[in-house]
Amino acid sequence: MQQLVNTALSGLTLGMVYAAFALALVMIWRSTRVVNFAQAPMAMVTTFVALAVIDAGHSYWLGFGLALLSGLVLGAVVERVVIRPVEGKPEINAVILTLGLFIVLHALASVVFGNRYRSFPAPFGVRGVEVGDTTLGITGFGIFSIAAVLVVMALLVLLFRVTDLGLRMRAAAYHQEVARLLGVRVGRMLTLGWALASVVGSLAGLLIAGGSLVHPGFMDSIVVFGFVAAVLGGLDSPVGAVVGGLLLGLSLSFVSGYVGSQLVALTALAILMLVLTLRPGGLFSQPAQRRV
Amino acid sequence: MKRRHTRPAPLAGVLATLALLAACGAGDDRSDEDGGGGVSEVGVSEESVTVGAHFPLTGVAAPGYSEIPTGAQAYFDYVNAQGGVHGRQIEYLVKDDGYNPTNTNTVTSELVLQDEIFAMVGGLGTPTHSAVVDFLNEEGVPDLFVSSGSLQWGDDVEDKPYTFGWQPDYEIEGKIIGQYVAENLPDAKVGLFLQDDDFGEDAEKGVRQYLEDQVVGVERYTSGNTDVGPQIAGLQASGADLVLSFNTPSYTALSQLVSLKLGYDPQWFYSNVGSDPDLVGSLLSEFSEGAVEGSASSLDGVLTTEYIPGIDQAEDPWVQLWQKVWDEHGTEGELTNYRVYGMSHAYAFVQALQAAGEELTRDGLVEALEEVGQDLDGPQLAPFRFTADSHMGISGLRVVEIKDGGAADPLTPVLVSDIGDAPIEEDTSGQADDAPPEGGVPE
Repeated sequence: MQQLVNTALSGLTLGMVYAAFALALVMIWRSTRVVNFAQAPMAMVTTFVALAVIDAGHSYWLGFGLALLSGLVLGAVVERVVIRPVEGKPEINAVILTLGLFIVLHALASVVFGNRYRSFPAPFGVRGVEVGDTTLGITGFGIFSIAAVLVVMALLVLLFRVTDLGLRMRAAAYHQEVARLLGVRVGRMLTLGWALASVVGSLAGLLIAGGSLVHPGFMDSIVVFGFVAAVLGGLDSPVGAVVGGLLLGLSLSFVSGYVGSQLVALTALAILMLVLTLRPGGLFSQPAQRRV
Repeated sequence: MKRRHTRPAPLAGVLATLALLAACGAGDDRSDEDGGGGVSEVGVSEESVTVGAHFPLTGVAAPGYSEIPTGAQAYFDYVNAQGGVHGRQIEYLVKDDGYNPTNTNTVTSELVLQDEIFAMVGGLGTPTHSAVVDFLNEEGVPDLFVSSGSLQWGDDVEDKPYTFGWQPDYEIEGKIIGQYVAENLPDAKVGLFLQDDDFGEDAEKGVRQYLEDQVVGVERYTSGNTDVGPQIAGLQASGADLVLSFNTPSYTALSQLVSLKLGYDPQWFYSNVGSDPDLVGSLLSEFSEGAVEGSASSLDGVLTTEYIPGIDQAEDPWVQLWQKVWDEHGTEGELTNYRVYGMSHAYAFVQALQAAGEELTRDGLVEALEEVGQDLDGPQLAPFRFTADSHMGISGLRVVEIKDGGAADPLTPVLVSDIGDAPIEEDTSGQADDAPPEGGVPE
């Protein structure tokens, strides 16, 4: 029984991390219609920024805040410097550029931060929560992760559904010409979309790193699972991303615990194929009437 | 890696060799009848012998392991500074494979075909080295002292005539651990935490020879997947109060961390590979709220094994030699157990070169090692098992408990064994008590 609970809790925390990553992908997809393969190394870089701040003797939360801030800046810079020149060309150009960025950031991080494993502190301790005599397999930081992801999801839903800004961002993403004619500053919206997505990605990085080990490749496995989670949810829906992440995290955790850890990656692939076969647009897709 | 810049182009190497041959022929002290004599072998000249190795300098297996070649390099530099072996300087090329077998393949081809190494020395990893072992044997490249305890390096000499193991194989380590537990902790409920490859398989085979009835749970993790929560939860559910772990160092830290999270507190017994207290301690120490304190103290009370003296034994004459070598020729950083490991196999390689004589050939090296292998003195606590029928490495180890600050407190004498049904016996070679020769270079 305890094993069942702990395996589920482990999957829940992990699923939330996948969800955070998927949210970043959804964010950038909704606001720019590009899939950003460099999301993971960008988050890795900002996580190392946080680690540098913490190692210098400052508090965890200062590092946390600075990491999010540097995520914002990094996202904006990447959009302006790397993506802007290929704007208006086929979308595949931008996607390939992000792949290139993936490699460049990886290499740079290895040079700047080194390649060794380092431990990353967690603010609420690394011991499990105790209920009566038993210890549940979730840490205070795990609970914080879950809460943080849910809050971000809610904020994103609000941004796109309720605010004027969200509407403009979506307009800019769907049809630039029309949006321009309607007075939307498309360039700014794209920059903002990248910046915000990068902040969400940075958060995912911090949540994965907390109480674990980091090195320049630590986000790489998350890339795959985060993409699967986002695609499960339909790439378009924040709620879908979170549900996709949870579904994936729980399934993988149970497979790892009860079947065998060597089947984890295979299971992720099987789930992805199953969903894409049954619902090609993802679990939360809407009818394709808006496709431009 | 960086050394590539200094690597002589093959053509230059050939020209240099030809020039040397000409010089010899011009009437020096050498008077070999049929041209060339001892310098016709690949990677060997009158002045140098080039060897190579693949190590994970980046990635999941890099912590710790990436230090091994720095230790080996320091010892080779030390030997070179004293004139080398038979007048030849040892040139050591290290390439990064990131613990990825595909990369191992690439870098090994480079080493053998472009850099033209004479021998591979200490290539690290079971999955990685498996990918190149057949290639090396087909090319006839001596493949000495593989940094891995898999059985396959030495149990089938006919199939892999050029490959030699170095550290005690995982099966005898499993056997000795199993016997220790059966004799000293007969009531323990044993859980096994295994890497899901040859490492875990060989070890399990050994452990089960002695502990079949005591094992209550087995969990396997896949290297690369850092989420071991489900596996540790499985061990906890099985009721194991003693966990025998055969894993790499990063997974020691991860398993400790997850156990804290789950409130699971068994007696841990890490095999030698995953138990370096300094490395694991430094990984664990930075987590918050003092849940994991100190640097090395977090592994206090953990059981493990030992087959070469480590840096905690500062009085040991071998460790004093390594310290001296590191002070004189080391790069940045302190002497660590991984660097000691690198120096130890470098020492054995120097012995092999000496035994092979002045006329250095690949086959000659292998024959020499088969002939004198069992008699080589060195830092290892028990002798090698090298003969014409077996290329298995060090024959034994002792069980130790990690105490204050990482010191290893011996719980058993050095025990030796061999694969299969071979009995476990106390070592009588006295290897554990020997000291290095005066100059620090094998005689």
